[in-house]
Amino acid sequence: MSLYVLEGLRPWVIQRVSAVYMVLFTAYAVFSFFSAESIAHESWKNWLYSPFNTTVVGIFVIALLFHTWIGMRDVVLDYIHNIMLRIFILAMLLGVLIGSGLWVFRILLLSVVG
Amino acid sequence: MIDNRPVYLNLIKIRLPVAGMVSLAHRGTGILLFLALPFAVYLLDLSLESQQAFETVQQILQQPILIVVQFLLLWSLAHHFFAGIRFLLIDAEIGVDKSPARTGAWLVFLAGAMTSFVIVLGIAL
Repeated sequence: MSLYVLEGLRPWVIQRVSAVYMVLFTAYAVFSFFSAESIAHESWKNWLYSPFNTTVVGIFVIALLFHTWIGMRDVVLDYIHNIMLRIFILAMLLGVLIGSGLWVFRILLLSVVG
Repeated sequence: MIDNRPVYLNLIKIRLPVAGMVSLAHRGTGILLFLALPFAVYLLDLSLESQQAFETVQQILQQPILIVVQFLLLWSLAHHFFAGIRFLLIDAEIGVDKSPARTGAWLVFLAGAMTSFVIVLGIAL
């Protein structure tokens, strides 16, 4: 297995598939925003915690995390040449992304738990 | 391997074509959006916690300094969005030739600026 896990054509494909999903999700999110009756805590919570929206937001978060990982990884590989510094920054990056991801999934699943 | 090729990289003297500017800005805005991610998740969490916390989020976002940051992030998102669509179209072999590629690049800058401007106007009014 390579140091950066994703090699060859795969990151290229993931980057584009996630981009297309996020474009479609953005269209849906904008539509939802304009068809909302009010911008308030209760309606916002009801929107997010409907099963359909929790699902599409969950998939969006997964797409976003992969997209961000590949994009930021490419930036690091392009500009950081010192191997130890590179590994350190990539590890930090992964930590931030996994941390943010777990945090969002905790938020999304709270509606299911209680 | 020792590389002795002469390198002349005076960044101020490099004049990028508009397509290069779109590409560079796509990269820069992507980094900005990544940096904003943890804060966005924090605000998402807070906005769902309670009615009071939701109002706190609204107050936080109305801070003058944060309005500037939000505008920068809004433009970043819009530019990254349209530049990304342009790259997807180029992958699909649409707009690859020099002239349409240049037009597309200008359109990306225009669409990014227009979108963020219209959203700001919509919020202000």
